[in-house]
Amino acid sequence: MNKNNSTLGDRLLIVGIRFLALGIFPLIWFLFQAILFRELTEILNRTSLIIVAIIFGSTFIFLLYLGMNKLIDFAPKHHRESLYAGMFIGPALFMLSLFLFYPSIRTIYLSFRDRYGDSSVGFDNYIWAFSDTEMKTTLRNQVLWLIFVVTLVVLLGLIISWLADRLNRGEAFFKSIIFMPMAISAVGSSAIFKLIYAYRPPPSTQIGIINGLRVSSGKDINGKECGNNEIGANGELIDYYREGCPNPVGWLQQRDLSNLPSFENINSSDTLLNFLVNFPINTFLLMIVMVWMSTGFAMVVFSAAIKAVPSEIIEAGQIDGASEGKIFMSIILPYIKSTIIVVSTYITVSVLKAFDIVYVTTRGDLETNLLAVKMLDEFAKYRQYGRSATVAVLIFVCVIPVIVINAVRAREQTQI
Amino acid sequence: MRRETQKWYDKPVSKLILITIALSWMFPYIGFLISSFRPGESVKRSSWWISLTNGDLFKELTLENYYEILFAENLSRSFFNSFAVSIPSTIIPITIAAFAAYAFAFIDFRGKEIAFIFVVGMMIIPLQMSLIPLLKLMKGGAILFGVTIIPELSLNGTFVAVWFAHTGFGLPLATFLLRDFMMSLPKSVVESAKIDGASHLTTFFKLVLPLSVAGIAAFATFQFLWVYNDFLVANVFMGIKPENLVVTSHVAQLTVGNYGEEWHLRTSGAVISMIVPLIVFFSLQRYFVRGLIGGSVKG
Repeated sequence: MNKNNSTLGDRLLIVGIRFLALGIFPLIWFLFQAILFRELTEILNRTSLIIVAIIFGSTFIFLLYLGMNKLIDFAPKHHRESLYAGMFIGPALFMLSLFLFYPSIRTIYLSFRDRYGDSSVGFDNYIWAFSDTEMKTTLRNQVLWLIFVVTLVVLLGLIISWLADRLNRGEAFFKSIIFMPMAISAVGSSAIFKLIYAYRPPPSTQIGIINGLRVSSGKDINGKECGNNEIGANGELIDYYREGCPNPVGWLQQRDLSNLPSFENINSSDTLLNFLVNFPINTFLLMIVMVWMSTGFAMVVFSAAIKAVPSEIIEAGQIDGASEGKIFMSIILPYIKSTIIVVSTYITVSVLKAFDIVYVTTRGDLETNLLAVKMLDEFAKYRQYGRSATVAVLIFVCVIPVIVINAVRAREQTQI
Repeated sequence: MRRETQKWYDKPVSKLILITIALSWMFPYIGFLISSFRPGESVKRSSWWISLTNGDLFKELTLENYYEILFAENLSRSFFNSFAVSIPSTIIPITIAAFAAYAFAFIDFRGKEIAFIFVVGMMIIPLQMSLIPLLKLMKGGAILFGVTIIPELSLNGTFVAVWFAHTGFGLPLATFLLRDFMMSLPKSVVESAKIDGASHLTTFFKLVLPLSVAGIAAFATFQFLWVYNDFLVANVFMGIKPENLVVTSHVAQLTVGNYGEEWHLRTSGAVISMIVPLIVFFSLQRYFVRGLIGGSVKG
């Protein structure tokens, strides 16, 4: 090979070009684009800024590669192969290091620092994370979300995909209905459910369907029907602002059940009711939004897995006289076990990162907070940068085992 | 029919279960959609289901809310902002990832294993981990061991900040998926191009990219919807100045903020925000599902 013949000058040239093309040039490119667009933001009006952003924002990246390519052309031919490898892969490593790796390390570092990151506080932030009342509630909610959302999504996904698999017609249509919430934003979904749970103080009309049906369901003390400010048969207005009519409930404000009629006067001796009264109803109502959004994903993945079960195995089971339930439990379930684990992993991770639903509906107040919201609150609301970083590290620590389990399983499977 | 004998699942009862599930999944949209077409006064005065049952609804249907939210409330501006955020945030990471994936799949170089482990390892990092320091980096630069790597940029509130944030968050998965896809391409094609004397850049643009369109489309659909629907990153990097709002943060502000009773604007705004994802979803459903299933390994 020519490599051994290369002179010292040759080598220096290579090192120089490598340094220029792979180290300095991406940095300059990044700074140039950043500053250029920052200045454009101030000069241009909105319309032209948006057009410029879409066109040049999408194409500027090619300048990076073309520029690197030009620089590499100065290198001697037999050295170009390794330089090309660097050119193809360099920007990815550069961006990952700058935008993901460095910030993550910084977060871990900050989690051991005080509120502005000025001095070290040891494990104080972590002690705070497990002793603060608000944080305890947040952790409790996160655990509840993990348990209930993951279980419900996986169960519903299994049931729906199994039933839908047996449809003769309309399977695709049915599945798109369940899957649709996955495509829209969590903010939009939260708005949708906020209308369902809506509460307005009496005597205004209840526009949320739960409260609407609730207030119009009863009778007042004189035995007259209650109504949601609707017009009766004789043209009179039927309201619910009378004694005896059910009151509307601020569902998302209910941190427990104590305001609901059956729990208003509980006996201290009734342990079951005393246990149930602490049920955090608002947190559960928010979980429903997540379940509504994520079940489609579980269903689609399970559906593909169930279709991949060889029909001979199922038929063999039928010949042996196994019931449908038995076939599902002892043939289909074991067959799609790894898929179930993958889906649970995905849902677990997305619950750990769940932010939009809580932020948009209750803003994390009234004991509905989750880790991801708490993390931003500590940063933006309380200016506690160290604590914010600690909460982020907690999320990270919870994500690691889930992903590792998944990766190990995936590797085992490829080996088999 | 899969089997000859009629089982319980062919009986009406299981169909009934499925129809119940489908209806309960559809139900949340109905009241929301109806309210978006009713005048603000009526939304407050009578509930949507009563107006539906007594027929008032059909007399009062209006597009007024949509005009108001789009032009008076300037949701149209947020709408275009959303595109200025999501289109580059989709193209930049895919381009970088496609180049890297090509190198992983077709070029032999020193440190390939380590580089790949680094890229895949980044997948386990949830975006919360890098969010705040990244914001600081975009604002005030980065200093490592006393050396200024990035000077003060004050990028907060500009599109560039969001593009690069999304590039960082989307890149590991994109590289991983595209590498998988390119590995499944026939190696002989690339090798014969090399023998013909084509440079890597030519092979990449003329041969590998066109062959990888399906893989790229799957990730692009996923990433576009992810960015378009994202609220957290846009909220943190773009801020809440009215001219910087994207659709999701605008709708979030309508929903959470001092618009307590403005349900006619909340609903119409949210409906507008859902139009683009639903169009993308129904036209590219196959790619979207593929991208999503691929995305299930992300941290």
